[in-house]
Order: sequence, then structure tokens, then C-alpha cells
Amino acid sequence: MRRPNGDQLLRLEDAVEWIADALATDPSLVSPATQRSDLKGWDSLGQLILMSALDQDFGIKLTEDEVGSMASVQDILDVLKRHGRLRAS
Amino acid sequence: MATFSVSGAAVRGIATSVPQARFNNITDTKTLPSDEVRKIVAMAGVVERRVAGDTITSSDLCYAAARSLLQGLDWTPESVDALVMVTQTPDYFMPSSSCILQKRLGLSDRCAAFDVGLGCSGYVYGLWLSGMMLHGGDIKRVLLLHGETPTRYVREDDRAVSLLFGDAGSATAIERSSEPYSPPWHFALHTDGGGYRDLIIDGGAFRDRFSASAADHYVHMNGANVFNFTIKSVPPLIEEVLNLAGRAKEDIDYFVFHQSNRFIIQHLVRTCGLPSDKVPLILDRYGNCGGPSLPLTITEGLRTATGRDPSTLLLLGYGAGLSWGAALLPFARAAVIRHLEYTTPKGDLE
Repeated sequence: MRRPNGDQLLRLEDAVEWIADALATDPSLVSPATQRSDLKGWDSLGQLILMSALDQDFGIKLTEDEVGSMASVQDILDVLKRHGRLRAS
Repeated sequence: MATFSVSGAAVRGIATSVPQARFNNITDTKTLPSDEVRKIVAMAGVVERRVAGDTITSSDLCYAAARSLLQGLDWTPESVDALVMVTQTPDYFMPSSSCILQKRLGLSDRCAAFDVGLGCSGYVYGLWLSGMMLHGGDIKRVLLLHGETPTRYVREDDRAVSLLFGDAGSATAIERSSEPYSPPWHFALHTDGGGYRDLIIDGGAFRDRFSASAADHYVHMNGANVFNFTIKSVPPLIEEVLNLAGRAKEDIDYFVFHQSNRFIIQHLVRTCGLPSDKVPLILDRYGNCGGPSLPLTITEGLRTATGRDPSTLLLLGYGAGLSWGAALLPFARAAVIRHLEYTTPKGDLE
């Protein structure tokens, strides 16, 4: 997994690659428009791994609402943006 | 509302038993890619687990724990008035494991014995039942057994559960207290059957006895739903039992969580503002053993003696059903603690 470097902001493509890695998925299959149901690795266990990785790699501790709202890759990118981890495009 | 306070009961000892065979998730897993294994281990926190194999049952593990505990307490088998066996992995649908254990342990035929079919909340329910049984009759000593072999209902290629579970049995000796003052036990118990499909074995019982689907004979877990249930249910549960007991978090010496998953427990510790040094974790060595993970955490996780005697434990069980409960009770330093490895399959009555 490509781990973020300290407080460095992620570029969009790096964030997408990080998401693909967390979900054990080929990065070519992942884009902001990708839905949870499109990815085999984003099952209920994948959701927990994703939450754990957001905490371990970025210190992002999701709120209950954020956990419930993650249904697409764009939702994960929005979480990273809200927590100041995604570079503005 | 199911809240209770029980007085006049004391835990005299706890013994736990695990299979000798170890399974290291990192080095021994052959059914999942190693990178995926590392991610799951990093999240759930289970490095090593004990596995029963095809011959050891929950009653075997409980038998070994109970025999060791009776010896440690110097309790004669005839002095046990009731045996409660909590399990969802019994030897048979019929008869109850408790009856088999009554015979194996040499208990009297005047001993009441029955099974309770609850999962990860089962230890809390078992303590509540045992405490209640000491009132209104001549029952003075109860042996509470709680054993599970979840590795035997897990599909090795189901990544949601295959690296999570371990097997364990336990025995807890509960006695009518003769001390002039013994602090009461407090319980809060809950159920939401609306989530019954979140942890389920579909086939093999009488709803679908001979299911043709092999997968139906193994456990299915919706991890995200179980996570959501846990983070919503446990924080108010802690507050509820503290309020019932008139105690504060600072009064608790150990918060003994069902060892469900390290990420989930750490999330709860953070959300509830609990001191992590008062939350023992044994997941890395034993995995999620279902309800018996609570007594196992007491025997294997409470290494440091606190300044208080008795110490105060807050036990938290939550899982299949959905069912959840908390117990707040004293635990005396004089209580017998035993832990052993189970080595020899003993399927026959002794």
C-alpha cells in the first residue's frame, strides 16, 4: 500500500490509488464514479478495512454519519477532502 | 426494560481452556492472498488463534476447565447444585451438553442442568441467570460453563470470518455469598431480533435441516452491520449499567469487552472515553472466541493486580441475535484463576 507521507496532501490520482490498494482492487477499475457495488473488495469486511486504514494512514476517525454515507469512491474522496487530506484540484 | 441488581452472590473462581493447536494467520493461511491477510490482521488484530479441529467440542473444553476449577476450589462434585452451559456449538441438538457434562463431571442427580443458546452476549446472561438462581431456593453453588468452537463453522475461503475466530471453553464458580457485605451485581440486557440475519448459520437446524447449499452450513456475517450495531449499542449500554449501579467510569478497574475485533474495540474505547490501560485485549493471541472471550480475557488479560480488593469489572457482551448486555460486578483477589491447554480429545463419557 502506498502510505501517505506525513501531512502531505494527496493528489487525486494518488488518493484513488490508495483507495484501490485499501480495497485490494486493481487501480484501473477505480475512479471517482465507481460505486461500492462495483468492487468485489468493498464488501462488509472491505468497509471495515477501509475505515481502519483511514484511521491508521490519515488519523481520520469517521463519524457514524460518514460511515453510513460511504457508497462510492467519490464519497471516500469527500471524506479525505473534509479532513484536509486531499489537494484541491 | 431489562435491568437487574442481584445481591448475595460471589464469583469464587474462573477457569478457561483452549485447544493446544495454534493457527498463525500470517504464516499458516493458504486460502487468501498474503497481502489481503496482512490487511485483515492489521484491522482485526488477530495474529494467532487456537483451533479445535474435527474432534474437540465446546463441552470438552468446558469439561477440562470445570474439572480444573473444582479442584482449585476444593469443591466436591456433589456440592454443585446447578450447572448452566451457554453455547451455540453444542455436541448434539439433543441432548443438551449440560446433561453430558453433569455426568462427566460426576455431579449429583439433584443438580439442575440446562443449556442456554446465546452467542457473544452469553456470558453476561449466564452470570445474570446464575446470580438469580441463588435466590428463593436451596441452590448455593452454580457452575456456569460457556464454550464455543466457532472455527468449526467457518469457511476457510470466507474472508469476512476466516481469520477472526478462535475456540475456547470456560467455567465460572458462583456461590451464595456468606460475607456480611458483598457488593451487588448489576445487569443491563437487550435484544433486537431485527438483526438476526447479521450473524447466522442458515442450514442444518430445523428451518432448513438438509440444505443442499454447503455455504448454508457455515456462518455468514455482515461485518458492516455488526459494526454499526456495536458502535450504536455499546456506548449507551455502558452508561446504563453505570447509572443502575450508581457508579462512574473511574470506579471501574477493568472494562472487559467481548473480543470481537480490535478496530471495533478501539473505536468504542475512543468513543466512550475509556482509559485503554483498563481495557485488556487478548485478540492477538486467541482471536474472537465468541462469548467465552470474556472469561478468557479475565484469566489471560488481567495480569496486573489493582489496588482495590475486590476490583470492579464491567463486562460487555454483544453479537448474534442481535443480543447484548453488560454486567458490573466485584471480583475478589482471592478468586481462583486457572488457564489450561486442552490436549487430548475426550469424546466419550468418563
